[in-house]
Amino acid sequence: MTERLDTDVLVVGGSLAGLASAITAKEQNPALDVTVVEKYTSGYSGKANRGAGIILLLGDYAPEDFAQFYMKNIGLYLNNQTTLLKYASYLNDSVACIDKWSGGKIDKFDDGSFRTLKWASKVVGRKEDGKPVFDQENVYPWTLAAIELDYIREVRRYARKAGVKFVDRVGMVDLLTDDGKAAGIVGYNIDDGKQYVFGAKSVVFACGNQCWRVMPMWSAARGEGIAAAFRAGAKFANCEFSPFYNWTSLEHFESDMGVEYALYNDKGENFGVKTVKPIHSDINAESLAEYYKQAKAGNGPMHYRDDENPLNPYTHSMLASDAFYNRPYSDRFWGYLFFNAFSQKTNDVVVPGLVGEFNPLWVDENMATSIPGLFAAGDVCVGGSRAWGAVAQPGRHRGSGLAFATFSGRVAGPSAADHAAGASQAAVSDDQVAATDARFMAPTKSAGNVKTMDMVAEIQKVMQPLGNSLYREEGRLKAALAKVEDLKAMMPQVKADDPHHLFGANELHAELLCSEMFFKASLERKETLGWFIREDYPQASDKLEWVIVENKGGQVAVSKEPVPLDTYPYKGC
Amino acid sequence: MNKIIVNKELCKGCKDCYKACFIDVIKWDAQAKKPIIAYPEECVHCMYCELNCPERAIKVIPDYASYLFPRENII
Repeated sequence: MTERLDTDVLVVGGSLAGLASAITAKEQNPALDVTVVEKYTSGYSGKANRGAGIILLLGDYAPEDFAQFYMKNIGLYLNNQTTLLKYASYLNDSVACIDKWSGGKIDKFDDGSFRTLKWASKVVGRKEDGKPVFDQENVYPWTLAAIELDYIREVRRYARKAGVKFVDRVGMVDLLTDDGKAAGIVGYNIDDGKQYVFGAKSVVFACGNQCWRVMPMWSAARGEGIAAAFRAGAKFANCEFSPFYNWTSLEHFESDMGVEYALYNDKGENFGVKTVKPIHSDINAESLAEYYKQAKAGNGPMHYRDDENPLNPYTHSMLASDAFYNRPYSDRFWGYLFFNAFSQKTNDVVVPGLVGEFNPLWVDENMATSIPGLFAAGDVCVGGSRAWGAVAQPGRHRGSGLAFATFSGRVAGPSAADHAAGASQAAVSDDQVAATDARFMAPTKSAGNVKTMDMVAEIQKVMQPLGNSLYREEGRLKAALAKVEDLKAMMPQVKADDPHHLFGANELHAELLCSEMFFKASLERKETLGWFIREDYPQASDKLEWVIVENKGGQVAVSKEPVPLDTYPYKGC
Repeated sequence: MNKIIVNKELCKGCKDCYKACFIDVIKWDAQAKKPIIAYPEECVHCMYCELNCPERAIKVIPDYASYLFPRENII
């Protein structure tokens, strides 16, 4: 029971990055067949419609301003400057693209211009109707626009009208290769388990990153694309520059921003505010490390006094009401979430919740991976693009998720189309399909009785702790790695008897592989730089190097590569 | 675990809740043209099924206390 389909360009993943890739591939070369394959339902799936719906643009500033500010204050020159400058140069047009594709879902002023707000502006007063007045202070050299969160359905409609084909409910399990080049994928229908084999001249991975299923709204990101790329021999970078954390409550698991300003230990001492940088950008790694030290010193639990958070008027206006932006659908979304969440709240205890955002698929400035014919867009390759440097996604500039998805899709689509136009269909290997099938179906034949969700819980216990994943140290990293190996050894005991749990088992393989890549790369970086903190190496090294991960004979192999500063326009400090 | 309640009288069988679920908690009964809440223990209360239902025929009641989170492994 196999369905065989051929297409010129195959896009894996139907959220914003995938749709941007598909639309722009079709625009680049309308004669090509472009197909999107999506594990759930394109137009609804992914993370791009479940965040704040804010997207950054440059406003009046030049891309070079953005790049210089960003490298100096955040990326610390561990950046691929070529890709960073290209990203910056795409920002304004990307907002216009999303507006066009979605039929006008970016919020606008009456004169038709995008309704924008400077990042982290200060509230300087209130209008008669209670709405805040912002100073529009030039805190950051960029600006945010906002989109109504039902926009992805409209973008899918736009893509379909442009001639893009869709196959929903089929999840990719492996990349097929021919002589080292991308040849297609193997996938399965998540409802009935039917196997799908796609042949393609170009493949675009836009299937998200790895978030280890800890925080609720990031739960769909399970790293299957990263694992499939690894098995096919792809290269990775910046594995160690995740995971990201948000401040949350164990009573409801919603997140807040600006918590560092009002983060107290149980003795009533504010230990967060000293970590806030003069230019406030976003949650910082230092406050998370300080939380670890306070907890280890027995000063917990920690408390968040939200009435002392100076960002509240700003973030609440930006993210969770129509005080500034007009987004009725989004308001209902936030209303449901926050009503449920805050009606449960009984105390102010705050914890760091692992978001993850492990995103290391290596790409060049054309979004080409190291496998010929395989391109990438969106969350799967944010770190691997090296554009943002020494920081975890979202890169300490909110609104960057949609911006990077659109930018990388707009680059990957035409790159994939150009490659497909000059390529012939590579051979699809029956042996590779059979090997994938054997691996994917193995849990149906398992004699064990380990449930997928029990394994998810065990992996969470390794990845969540700040001491393993944020405030790192050799002994703890090695112990975490040993636990990952123990869990890998348990995988043959995982039992699955339906497509949902077969995908669950495949996701577990991906979770564990990503954990291994993360801890091995973390051991390799013996310094503290930006988001990356080592307790045992508190200083920055005198060399700027990327940690590279590759598949050597099926094993996770780690090496270093110097940042080629001599070829870049900005030499650093 | 979270409760996901479907009012089958109000449900018109449009499939929006099934499409809206981004982690395969909701399956579809093609014969009855109604959603099947197949894996409620994995629901992460994103609320998109409820938000997207044009008939207001589905409701999610989060049970945060049972949410899978490593409470004993914060640091």
